[in-house]
Amino acid sequence: MRNGVTGLAMFMMAAMPAAADDGPAVLRVTGNIAGGPASFALDTLRDLPEATLETSTVVTDGTHRFTGFLMRDLLDRVGASGDHVTASALNDYAVDIPVSDFRDYDVIVAYAMDGAPLERADKGPLWIVYPRDDHTELQDIRFDYRWVWQLSGLEIR
Amino acid sequence: MTGRSGGSAFWLALPLVAVAAFAVLLTFSLVRMIRVEADMRVEAEQNMLWVMHQSEAAARRLGETVLLAELGEADTAEIALRLDILRSRIALLNDGPQRRFVDSIGLGGDLDRLTGLLGAIGTLPEGAGEIRASRLRAALAPFPTFFARAANKAMIAEWDELGGRLETYRDQLRKTIAGLIGIMVAGAILAAALVISLRNSRRRNRMLRRARDFSGLLIASSGEGIAAVDTAGRCTLWNGAMAAMMGRRAEQAVGSPLAKVAGFFDVAAIRDGVTRALAGESTQLQLQPLFRDTEETPDHVDLRFFPMRDETRIVGAIIFMQDASDRYAADRKDAETRARLEHLVAERTRKLDDALRRESSAADLYRNFAAMISHQFRTPLAVADSALQRLIRRGSRADPDEVADRAGRARGAIAGLTRLVDSTLHAARIEAGEVGARREPCDLVPIVTAVCDQQRAAVPETRISITAPAAAPVLCDPAHAEQVLKNMVSNAVKYAPPGSEVSVALRVDAQGVHCDIGNSGAGIAPPDRPRIFERNFRGANSVGSPGTGVGLFIARALARMQGGDVALLPCDDGTVFRLSLRQPEGAAP
Repeated sequence: MRNGVTGLAMFMMAAMPAAADDGPAVLRVTGNIAGGPASFALDTLRDLPEATLETSTVVTDGTHRFTGFLMRDLLDRVGASGDHVTASALNDYAVDIPVSDFRDYDVIVAYAMDGAPLERADKGPLWIVYPRDDHTELQDIRFDYRWVWQLSGLEIR
Repeated sequence: MTGRSGGSAFWLALPLVAVAAFAVLLTFSLVRMIRVEADMRVEAEQNMLWVMHQSEAAARRLGETVLLAELGEADTAEIALRLDILRSRIALLNDGPQRRFVDSIGLGGDLDRLTGLLGAIGTLPEGAGEIRASRLRAALAPFPTFFARAANKAMIAEWDELGGRLETYRDQLRKTIAGLIGIMVAGAILAAALVISLRNSRRRNRMLRRARDFSGLLIASSGEGIAAVDTAGRCTLWNGAMAAMMGRRAEQAVGSPLAKVAGFFDVAAIRDGVTRALAGESTQLQLQPLFRDTEETPDHVDLRFFPMRDETRIVGAIIFMQDASDRYAADRKDAETRARLEHLVAERTRKLDDALRRESSAADLYRNFAAMISHQFRTPLAVADSALQRLIRRGSRADPDEVADRAGRARGAIAGLTRLVDSTLHAARIEAGEVGARREPCDLVPIVTAVCDQQRAAVPETRISITAPAAAPVLCDPAHAEQVLKNMVSNAVKYAPPGSEVSVALRVDAQGVHCDIGNSGAGIAPPDRPRIFERNFRGANSVGSPGTGVGLFIARALARMQGGDVALLPCDDGTVFRLSLRQPEGAAP
């Protein structure tokens, strides 16, 4: 199964070259992935199956509706194999996230909040969002630091 | 007793108090701990010191990038990136929780000013790279300073908050610990109370068992039969004495309805006793006959029925049964003795009554005798007295004939007096039961003839006609029979009209021998007829003639003594008295 998914991902990668004419690359994926480091433009990422999530966050008031794609879809697409993902932000913030988080929860990488695209001057263009309100165990400071905004890199290890 | 009940109340109240304290302290501790837990969850989410540090780093990186750009080592895109990052930090700080924190540490105004500054930077006019860079650097100068100050304040605020929170936790924990100690104490008290009450209960159980064993022993060794029933009438207890009396073993009796155990208990009186005991009434039955299977004659038992109660209601009835056969026998013997005694007393009383009656009749006799003397004796005495007075007056002038005549009268009067006395005494003797009568067979005809002859001799002018068979055999005392006839004939003659005839008719028939003596006199007035045979009764027609009124009484009494009777026959003219006597056995009329 895993090989099947990886195989499909590799096929799609071959069919759809990263960092084409879709715009500037916003996310670079490195580490244990099939086919070497890959960079993705925002429009390419929007082609991934869309996922929405409504949740509150620790840095805003009230609940918000986030739109993006599932982290595990991206990992499958790039044929990632590893236990941890090191997510890094534009301001060099970096944090290790166990891959199991993406399997256990519908963690998304959001590119829009409440219908408006996330801006780089705010928390965009990409923000790792956990389904915090759906799982009480996620309402924990040890998960809060995994909410990386201005996400710019993923290293699979 | 009071002390003990006070003690037991204390031992009852103590565990209750301990349980209440236990519950209160447990609730208290739980509330504290829940509160601490909630605090921990909420309070752990703030990390403003880190936010400030990141913001300061972003500001300094922007400044650094601008400097590099002035040296030509960084391009516009990099500056734009760093500017966006700083903007994002400012945007973060202006958002909900972060903004409130900044306001709380008193830097809201400064943040607003910096936000304005950053907005102004975005609209900086395009110009030569160096000029623009230097102006940008000047504009950015307050940011790191602000963030450093904010970090400083955030640290102090967070430490203050942390210290306060820890103090609150300590306080809560201390209270919880106190609560737990209280719980432990309450638990210890409860455990102690439990141990003590267990011991008490064991002791009470032991006492109860001993009491039960003792009552069991009492019941078993009782000479009285004891049985108990429940409210449904089923036997629950059957002791040895009962088993011996009824001939049923306890195993046969216990559990069965009492009426099924023995028919004896199905008798109405006993059923009623059980029913009343179950209704709460104690009753007893004396000398109830108890037929055993093998014996003809019943034993007799006394039964007592009592209700059995627990604290609130009647749970059954208990029956005590005692063999009372000996007492029954004694009672019967007593009754017999009593009956005999009563009989004896009645006998004696009757005899005494007889004696008393004789006594009183003697008294009557004397009284009547006195009355009679005053009345009847006066005339003959007067006759005798006057005759003797005349003799005395005449003295020597009286001739022998006159003397004989007057003396004869005096003697006649005295003889009459003697007769009166004789007959009166005779009547009294008869009445006192002193006269007995023989009964021997004899012929009444010669007796009648002799009596009539005597009467004719005594009163020469008397006319008497006799009708008689050849013989009239009777069973009598001849002397008495003669006396009876004499009385009757002299009576008939006395009350017959002068010159008239007195009839004497003797007749024999199946009933016996009858002698009817009648005259044609005035007869007896109807009111006097029933009383004519009473002693000393004198009818209206006897006024003026001497007599004591005992003649007919004596006649009847003597006749009855011989098994016969004297009766006054109903008659239209004249008077007829009849003497009836029995014939001897085997005599044919």
